[in-house]
Amino acid sequence: MTRPEQPDVVIVGGGIAGASAACKLTAGGLSVVLLEKQATYHDLVRGEWLAPWGIVEAQRLGVDDCFSAGGAWEIREWMTWDEAVTEDEVEAVDMTRFIPGVGGPMSFPHHAVCALMAEQAVAGGARLVMDAARIRVVAGERPVVTYRTEEGEHELRPRLVLGATGRGCTVGRQIGVTMRNSMHHWGGGMMVEGMDGWPPDVQAMGTEGDVMFMVFPQGYGRARLYLNFPVANKHRYRGPGGVERFLAAYALKCLPDRGRAVTGARPAGPLSVWPSVSSVPEGPPLTEGVVLIGDEAGNADTVLGTGLSCAMRDARTVCDILLASSDWSPAAFEPYVKERGSRLERLDFGASIISRLHVEFGPAAVERRRRVRRLMARNFAAQVTGLLNMVAPEDVPEFGFSEFFAERLFRETA
Amino acid sequence: MTEKKTVSVNDIELAYIDEGEGDPVILLHGFPDSSYLWRHQIPALVDGGFRVIAPDLRGFGDSSKPQEAEAYGMQTIVNDVVALTLKLGIKRPHLVGHDWGAAIAWMYAFLMPRRLDHLVVLSVGHPGVFATPSLEQRAASWYMLFYQFPGVSEELLRRNGWRLFKEIMGRDGDYDRYLRDLARPGALTAGLNWYRANRSPEAELRPARPFPPVYAPTLGIWGAGDKALLEEGMTASGKYVKGPWRYERIEDAGHWLPLDAPDEVSKLLLGFLGTERPAHEERRPRRRL
Repeated sequence: MTRPEQPDVVIVGGGIAGASAACKLTAGGLSVVLLEKQATYHDLVRGEWLAPWGIVEAQRLGVDDCFSAGGAWEIREWMTWDEAVTEDEVEAVDMTRFIPGVGGPMSFPHHAVCALMAEQAVAGGARLVMDAARIRVVAGERPVVTYRTEEGEHELRPRLVLGATGRGCTVGRQIGVTMRNSMHHWGGGMMVEGMDGWPPDVQAMGTEGDVMFMVFPQGYGRARLYLNFPVANKHRYRGPGGVERFLAAYALKCLPDRGRAVTGARPAGPLSVWPSVSSVPEGPPLTEGVVLIGDEAGNADTVLGTGLSCAMRDARTVCDILLASSDWSPAAFEPYVKERGSRLERLDFGASIISRLHVEFGPAAVERRRRVRRLMARNFAAQVTGLLNMVAPEDVPEFGFSEFFAERLFRETA
Repeated sequence: MTEKKTVSVNDIELAYIDEGEGDPVILLHGFPDSSYLWRHQIPALVDGGFRVIAPDLRGFGDSSKPQEAEAYGMQTIVNDVVALTLKLGIKRPHLVGHDWGAAIAWMYAFLMPRRLDHLVVLSVGHPGVFATPSLEQRAASWYMLFYQFPGVSEELLRRNGWRLFKEIMGRDGDYDRYLRDLARPGALTAGLNWYRANRSPEAELRPARPFPPVYAPTLGIWGAGDKALLEEGMTASGKYVKGPWRYERIEDAGHWLPLDAPDEVSKLLLGFLGTERPAHEERRPRRRL
């Protein structure tokens, strides 16, 4: 029996959080084993929108070129197409000026970027295991990780495990981190190509009828489409004809030319639908020898689009702690736990406001959105929640997170 | 494809592909490619009975990437190619170049006429044509001038997720691969140094220097969809070639001929290389009295 490998860090999950952490840690001279359950990276319909503040984190992690080379496309404007906005009121919101030195948000094929990050980590000396199944983690001062590949069962004895398995919480569940889950609506997404009639610099996010639609161009006529829709008829895009129904949902009055640029696009990947769950951990997302990062450490509703930026922030903060000293005890991660806790609190709060405003449907909801628009036009400060997906949560003014603000927003517009 | 080999020449490490047996053909790529550009032609030429040598020119692919612009003068790069042939014991190769590689091939033909069999230039014509550019050609090479601002252009090209670079490259060539290659340490500066060391705006104003005539049998190929270079650059090259000159225009191809029309380019190469009487026949060593 050979002695189990003893790397400094085992990272469970080779997604955006795990793979970027692997890059940073290998660059810092640590030995890393990165476990990924997919045999090859392919489109799983994940988040593909990185906020400007997430780009700053990616730069600090040294993985920004993985985004660019993996197909990241800068989006410059957000057109406020929405059923509650009349044609002549539609605005082009310039998204390139929120953070100095960083342009607009990025949209990119998630799996291609992960593959490049994993490649960069391997070039830096990490060992990448694809197709790793049945991953078991036992926490402790010297944690144990076992996994299975075609060759058989393997065991690792790292100094620390990073759990980065996303919303599946494969590691978190094994170390007893529990989540408070809530669900407001369902979501679905699909990659399309041949959207040549769509302006490549422009994203759309708006609501009409019973869908909240999102279009994030990725250059060259490709775009990631997401729809958020009510739980009531959550299976509408499942089964035969689901893809066609999904595309047809973009035939909207508020979009130019009734959304023809989108409805005429060709599917370029799988269609996936999911319950849009927010998970807030009930305790700190770590234990002796194991730290959770990315969605696995808790996440806000996807409607906000901050999941990837959070993953970048997590990876950067935790890696900085790991590289700063050899004290890897739970106490050393106190700053991370604290910052992440208040960050998620803000994002969760903001996402719930956005969900209530933009992912509720019917005449009353439309009327509310009209009134909210008028309120925001009158008082610019009421737009505070909208800042949340552009600048880091700690840079958003405090008053936007008070119950008083939310209460007023909804009372005045009810 | 076989593994790349590496050889030390001219104070740098040059990576290259060396495959097949027969008369040697050297394939020179351009910006921002590497020997990978020739992936379709290499097996075709090997099957056709040639020994194919495709280096990653300095600054690209797996070769060294000096960071000073002076390291990228045309003569230095021609020296790399000459040194490579010396190391490999090749006396008179056929030379095939695309884009900057074509410019290198022309320069090689001027400097090393006796060490050249057939010459094939893709996309880029004789530098004599460039030295007296028409107004139209100047407009087409706006991006060449853009590269002349050292320090600034890396920043500009990388800014906002390499947005400007993506706009310049569009979906041409191996567009999804270039960025990965140029993101490697020092690669962007190295690639741009090719532009900085050559064809500076001042050079544009200098009178055309007299180029020695080319005696090697020469084939020029140009793609009708080339957005960077004009047909006139290639067709007017014929008057600088004293050996047999042939021009081929490929209709359904842009600037990246080896990728856009892989089979046609291979066919043209196989039908041309070694078919004409070379300019300098192999001479028997003179008997000493």
